[in-house]
Amino acid sequence: MTATTADSHATEQAAHHEHEVGFFHKYLWTFDHKMIGLQYLWTALAFLFIGGALALGVRWQLGYPGAAVPIIGQFLPETVAVDGSIIPGGYNMLVTMHATVMVFFVVMPLLIGAFGNYLIPLQIGAGDMAFPLLNELSYWLYVLSGVILMAAFFVPGGAPGTGWTAYAPLSSVAAYNGVKIGQSLWGIALFVNGLSSIAGATNYITTVVNMRAPGMSMFRMPLTVWSLFITAILLILAVPILSAAAAMLFADLNLGTSFFSPAGGGQPLLWQHLFWFFGHPEVYIMILPAMGLTSEILAVFSRKPIFGYKAMVYAMIAIGFLGFIVWGHHMFVSGMSLTLSAAFSVSTMVIAVPSAIKTFNWMGTIWRGSIEFTTAMCFALSFVSMFVIGGLSGIFMASTPIDLFVHHTYFIVAHFHYVLFGGSIFAIFGALYFWFPKMFGRMLDETLGKWHFFLTLIFFNLTFFPMHNLGLGGMMRRIADPTVYEHLRQLQPLNQLCTIGAIGLGFTTFVFIWNVIRSLRSGEKAPMNPWNANTLEWTVPSPPGHGNFPKTPVVYHGPYEYSVPGIDKDYLPQTEPAPASARLESH
Amino acid sequence: MSTAAIAHDSHGHEGASPAVAKFGMIMFLLSEAMLFAGLLGGYFILRWSENGFPWQENHAWPPDAGIPALPVFLTSVNTIFLLASSVTFHLAEGAVMKGKSGLGWLFVTICLGALFVGIQCYEWWHLHHEGLWFNTGGVYGSGFFVITGFHGLHVAIGVLLILWCFLRQLFTRCFTPSHHPALANVALYWHFVDVVWIVVLTLLYYV
Repeated sequence: MTATTADSHATEQAAHHEHEVGFFHKYLWTFDHKMIGLQYLWTALAFLFIGGALALGVRWQLGYPGAAVPIIGQFLPETVAVDGSIIPGGYNMLVTMHATVMVFFVVMPLLIGAFGNYLIPLQIGAGDMAFPLLNELSYWLYVLSGVILMAAFFVPGGAPGTGWTAYAPLSSVAAYNGVKIGQSLWGIALFVNGLSSIAGATNYITTVVNMRAPGMSMFRMPLTVWSLFITAILLILAVPILSAAAAMLFADLNLGTSFFSPAGGGQPLLWQHLFWFFGHPEVYIMILPAMGLTSEILAVFSRKPIFGYKAMVYAMIAIGFLGFIVWGHHMFVSGMSLTLSAAFSVSTMVIAVPSAIKTFNWMGTIWRGSIEFTTAMCFALSFVSMFVIGGLSGIFMASTPIDLFVHHTYFIVAHFHYVLFGGSIFAIFGALYFWFPKMFGRMLDETLGKWHFFLTLIFFNLTFFPMHNLGLGGMMRRIADPTVYEHLRQLQPLNQLCTIGAIGLGFTTFVFIWNVIRSLRSGEKAPMNPWNANTLEWTVPSPPGHGNFPKTPVVYHGPYEYSVPGIDKDYLPQTEPAPASARLESH
Repeated sequence: MSTAAIAHDSHGHEGASPAVAKFGMIMFLLSEAMLFAGLLGGYFILRWSENGFPWQENHAWPPDAGIPALPVFLTSVNTIFLLASSVTFHLAEGAVMKGKSGLGWLFVTICLGALFVGIQCYEWWHLHHEGLWFNTGGVYGSGFFVITGFHGLHVAIGVLLILWCFLRQLFTRCFTPSHHPALANVALYWHFVDVVWIVVLTLLYYV
């Protein structure tokens, strides 16, 4: 190719960034990391709707046990409800499927699949991920695993009802659970979902290590990229253990092996060890990216550098590492020697240290900042508050003597919803309001956004705060009808309060959906850099064209140079060299 | 627009550079290692808590006299074939590096790999005939069949990958001394599967 044709080719590309491709190659089988991120986004939001509907079924049954489910009761499969009323076995299915959907098909795909894919190449200044084909395969494996899981509702026996933790031998002996096919599908779905996660994580690590733009040293990376990088390492190391456990579960159910059956020399406890060896890092897989996204938003809307950038990075690394040596704290009541449980208690409580470092650094970041209360900022601020509540209740359970009493009560349910919903989902909403302009070229409506935020915050706390009281009052998890227990009858009004909150939360979702639809159609056009932010994605058009950067960006300093003394504007994009007068935070 | 920009823009379409692809492969193999660590760790914990360590007095594996013994000698011979295939693959890569086609050594590697899978299949059939299967012999049978099954599947996939390299090289001669990332990555995978086999062999057959 001669220089002239090369140049004309380049001009042609610059003229229309979007390649002329058909619908199939643009939306369904694409190698563009941005479109793959959006594929993940839409699919996971659809799953959020499914998971939320399942949760409403759960809440309805607990608030009004035995009453026919309004409107949709008649359409539920007969393994779940008879004459519109949820049956105990069906209640277990709703609980199990709600949790499995929310963990593997909503929170992970939104944080890692959607924001990971969309932001990593843009924020490190790369044209795409290292392995675009692998990236798209990872998305379709995720869809496939979702189809397999949802199929469980329609097979003989119905969906699995053994909880998302699927403790053996209930899960591994068909005669106990009565849902052999559904439980097997659950195992297959998680195995396939694991393949998707591993494919994605391999891609992320490779991309972050090898494809950073000139000048983008590791310690100039935005915290979002750091959090996703550490998360990807956790995925690589933790998810295969779940795959191994799911394979053993499948073999026990279908091939007659005895991994979890004492009759053949197996041990039910092995399941718990394998599951939680994956399960605890999984907890951090679902919160670290949320921390990264929030850090970004807090710095931008406080117009201040992140307080203790390196401490934030080291804290995330410490959380990631400690996550692998604390899994036993889920098993204090499973029969564990006191010495071992003391060791697990201590290692768990140590995690409070890096978590507190992060929390104090967030407070240090907003301290005396010129705070702008955009919807994204509101969600980010409540992420911090809700995470603190969820984190503190976690320390209760890290202590063995307390855990012996609150284990398997609603106190636990309150705790993990405060970190998973109050933490992860709030961060996801915040990040959506923040990056929506970049993704779609339109601003989300701020008024509707505020409605969405305040209603979510109020109904979230109305739903989940009383669960602390329910748990301490003695209400167990995974019971289909609390009113059959004498000591729980007096707590029924609290259960109804939770249910009312949950219904409110359900309806609040429509405010968000309406906001998205309206803004996509007629929202205010988004400029290149609506928030005056520093990171690289804001130096390209909204939405960015194919290949992201017309010219490889060069990075001169860290991502959080806000209100730098010595320059006239209060932000300094990473691609802009600082004038000699400026006193920078980073190097 | 500068030529550097074109190079950058096309970067996303042409696939990763060999060094980057190799890095990605190593990350993937790390997760594979964790998969086998989960399976073997689970197996070993069950075995150890029931029967103690091999050097302890009351150690008995298989736990019952009625359980058929594994064909250790045949498998040892089979192991030699698998290890030899790693050597021949290395020779194939070396041949490609010297500018030759490497087709001969690749062919020998495919034969050795297929031979290993074949003998493992025979072993499964033989043990099934003797009365050992997934659902007999307790953890002994469960562990053996699930772990060798997973490993055998990995070897079989490896053979198909080498076959794919072989056919590509046969028809297009796409592997050159300076550029043969697919071959190098399949080689990494193949050596990895070999190393896993040594651990599987030791834990399942020898101790």
